[in-house]
Formats: sequence, C-alpha cells, structure tokens
Amino acid sequence: VRDPVTLAVVACDVGAHARLLAALHAALPRIGVMDPGVFACDLAGTEELLGAPSRVARRILARCARAGARVSIGIAPTPFVARVLAERIPPGEIRLVDDGRAFLAPLPLEALPVDAKIHDELRLLGLRTIGEFADLPRGSVFDRFGSGVARAHALARGEYGDVVRASVPVRRIRARRAWDDAIGSHEQLVFALRVVVDEIARSLERDGLAALRLDLRLDREDAAALHVERTVLPPTRESAALLRSLRWALEERPDLGRVVGCALEVLEVEPARGRQIGLFAPDGARREEAIATARYLREKLGPGAVLRARVTDPHARLPERANDWTEVIA
Amino acid sequence: LAEPALADAIARIEGRFGVHALTRGDTTERRRGELVIATGTSIDRVIGGGLAAGEPVAFVGPPSVGKVTVALHAAAGAQSTGGMVAWIDPTRTFDPLAAQRAGVDLERLIVVRTHQVALATAAALRSEGFRLAVVDTGDASIGGIEVDDVAPALAAVRGSPTALLVIATARGRRVAIPTYVFERVAWERDFDRTVGWSFAVGRAHTSDRALFCLTKDGALRDLGTRADLAEIAV
Repeated sequence: VRDPVTLAVVACDVGAHARLLAALHAALPRIGVMDPGVFACDLAGTEELLGAPSRVARRILARCARAGARVSIGIAPTPFVARVLAERIPPGEIRLVDDGRAFLAPLPLEALPVDAKIHDELRLLGLRTIGEFADLPRGSVFDRFGSGVARAHALARGEYGDVVRASVPVRRIRARRAWDDAIGSHEQLVFALRVVVDEIARSLERDGLAALRLDLRLDREDAAALHVERTVLPPTRESAALLRSLRWALEERPDLGRVVGCALEVLEVEPARGRQIGLFAPDGARREEAIATARYLREKLGPGAVLRARVTDPHARLPERANDWTEVIA
Repeated sequence: LAEPALADAIARIEGRFGVHALTRGDTTERRRGELVIATGTSIDRVIGGGLAAGEPVAFVGPPSVGKVTVALHAAAGAQSTGGMVAWIDPTRTFDPLAAQRAGVDLERLIVVRTHQVALATAAALRSEGFRLAVVDTGDASIGGIEVDDVAPALAAVRGSPTALLVIATARGRRVAIPTYVFERVAWERDFDRTVGWSFAVGRAHTSDRALFCLTKDGALRDLGTRADLAEIAV
C-alpha cells in the first residue's frame, strides 16, 4: 500500500493560472485544479521515479519561478491538508506535514469548506477550532448536519482521502500548410484546405473530440494575414462538415487575395457524441447536417423563412387553422 | 504530374462540377441503387428508376395538374430511406395536409420560404443532410419565379448526394435540365359531376407516359404506364 502524499501548489496571483498549469503539467503527473491558482498533485508511488516529495517540491518551486509565478507549496497526506498548509505559508516556501489532524487542530473553523450558516451553528455550539470540531463523534455530526458537514468533519480529522482528479493538458489541435503557387480562387482554396481539414479531423477523432470553434489564418502574398473564425454548430469532427463551414465563411468574403499558406486551429472543443444513423440510409440520414444547413439559411434569410410544418387539425374548415408552422432554428 | 498542376486540375473540375465530382481512391463507390430515390409509382419507370442524387429534374405542366402531388410522393420516397427533404417554397403555397396525405413525414421536411431560391437550393445541395431538394417555383404570373432563377445553383448539383427536383409551369429559357411534362388527359366524372382528373407524365419527345388519376380527396391513383395500358388493350 502506497502512503498517500499530496503536493499542493498555491499561487499568489490567480492571473498566472494558465502558465502555472502548463509548467506543472510539464513536470508532474496527475495535476488537479482545485480552484483558480490552486493545484494538487498526487505523488503516491512516485518516489522512485521522481525522488522524495520535498525534492520534487523544490524543483516545482524553481520551475514556477521560471514561469514567472510566485507560489507556496504544501506537502501532506491529503489534498485538503496540503492546500491549507500551502495557503498559510509565505510564497517561495515549502512545508511538509506528516500528521494532518495535528496540523489542522489549532486552526480556526473558517478554514473548513462549509457554509457560513454551518459556521454560525458550530460557533453557537461553542466550537472555535478545527480540533474541537474534529473531536465530535462522527455519527452525531452526520445525524445533526448531514453528509456535507460529515465530509468536512472527516477533512478536519485529516482522514478524508479525496482523490486528486487529474486534468488533461490542453493540446492544441492545429494544422498548417504553405503553397508554392499562390491560390486565387475560392474553389481552389477550398480544395487545398481539404487536406488541412482532414488532418484536423483525424486529430479530433484520435482525442474523441468535436470542434466547436475554428480559427483559419490565411497567409496572403499581397496583403496581411486574414483571420476567419467560425463556430461549428452542432460541434463536429467530420471533415465534410468542417470544410463546409469554412467554405461558407470564405464565400462571405468576395476578395481573398492571393493565398500562399494557411493555419487552421481548433479553438474550442467538446466531447464527441455518437450519431444514430438509419439502417438503410446511405447519405441523407445526416439530420444534424440538415439542421446545420437550416441554421445557415436562418442566418442568411432571417426569421420566418426556414420552417417546419405540423398538421394540427386535418378537418379544419380554414387551411390556416389546419397547420402550425414553427421555426426549425428558434 | 506535378502536385500543384494536379491540384489545379482537380480544383478546375470541382469548380465546374461541384466539390463532390471527384472522390478519393479509397472512397467506396456508391451503388446507383443507393443514389436513386424511387417514388413508388409508375413514374419511376418513365424517369429511369427514380430521381437520382446529383441530377436535376424538372416537372413542368400547367397549374393544378398534379406536379406537386407527384413531387410529394418523391419526397416520401426520399424519406423512406431515412433522409431529410428541403422544400423551397417562394410562393408560400406548400400544403402540409396534402404532404401528410402523400406520406411525407413533416418532421423530416424543412420548408424554406424565400425568393432567394438559388441561395437556398445551393445550400441544400452542398449540405450532405438532404436526400432531395424540391423547388416549387409556382406560377410566374402570380408571384412565382422562373426556372431560370434556379440556374446559379445548378453548378452544385453534380456530385451532390441530393437530388434536385424543380416544379414549374414553363420550361426555363436559359437552363436545360431533364424535363418531364405533365399533361391533363381527361376529367373524371361521376354522376355528371367532376370528381378529379387524369394526367400523363413523360419526356416531351418520347411516347412513354406514366398515367395517374387525382381524385377529389387529393388521392393519387397510379394507372401504370402507357405501355401497360397498351398490353391490357391487346
């Protein structure tokens, strides 16, 4: 059984969150984000690979300093204790605690993650420190306050081994091409983009993702680079749908100039969802493709143009009472 | 062949015939059976199996002869394989009740009411979401459009997985698309009252015709082709 060891990193400046996350991902496994600027890493079982936790912490401190962020690092058996520890030491320092309960005991109740109302109730009971709260019988706390406070009670005892949920580092999905001969026509450009879009589609498929927002940069021979941003609805990883979205965006720009290169990047993704297809439907069963087209037409033609009909009363005397028309895209 | 030259050649082909005109070597060729939309009536035998994806067809004939009714059966045929249908309706005359009676699933039919017919048609043809796009041009003398107004979208038909059906009262002057002419044959009378009419559908310069009868409740009765009737007569 591996001893639980968690390393918590607390940044002084929340604005450095992204930089810090990138730096930590490059150095440690299983990085979890507890709050903006607060990170936890489960170091259990990594001693042989990474070295002692205190050594790891020193390396992380130096790496964070190089990334331009001032942090404090706490090492403790549970993420909660490590976080509380890191929050209570000055930036640039590392502190290690073996007994979480003993460390928490003298701290005020405010350090526990419970509602202000619960804090008031605990104060009315005469409790001032986490240690006093931790000494209460577990069953009584559960019966009186419920499971939320019982969890805080376990945290106060340094017992609750909440799992560090690792966040997957964000991978940039992008592809780029440069062409020797400048491209001057829309059709030719769409054809050339197909290779780039196919590459993006393969990356998305590998990661089980669907593109929600695309950014296309077109490098031009005779003008500054042109940026085209598209939101793809519904999110998709299908090459044809991505290409179509870009085609529509390009068609809105009559003069693209002479394009010598492009870079396509997926700015926003969503987990890909499966699609139910008709058993004998070779092509036309792509309902979401049809809905995407309806959305495009709705944007172009305005309200009242793209409709779906429903028969409400087949026996109505007036035809307008027999039917009900609704917008396909509300 | 140098790669830029090849790219240029392919771009020219796609520019002229649509982006679906060429497929990669590893793409399985679709069987024609998958691409044909059968209406389930004898018009299929006149047309050559049904409406084919990537091909335009026009139904031309005087008003109130049965063009829309047959088109609705084609829409139902397109939906029978799970497809969606786009119905472009500049004259706002689409009748949901008639569509439902013809077997159309209204949930899988999108009606586009616009006079920008070319834009809507091109979008439907370029999308891979529709099996059939129907353009009901209406009567030009009462606010409808001409078949020629659909011309800018025709470049997108070739290679599209969508079949294009144009319903019009007169042929186009600028565009030449395969046209099937609807002609009224006779009024159907019952106890001296007119209860419907029969009509024939076929290419203008051929003798083969599909014959139908439309009754007063809007039901379409399939009478077979002229060849069938000749056999019966013999």
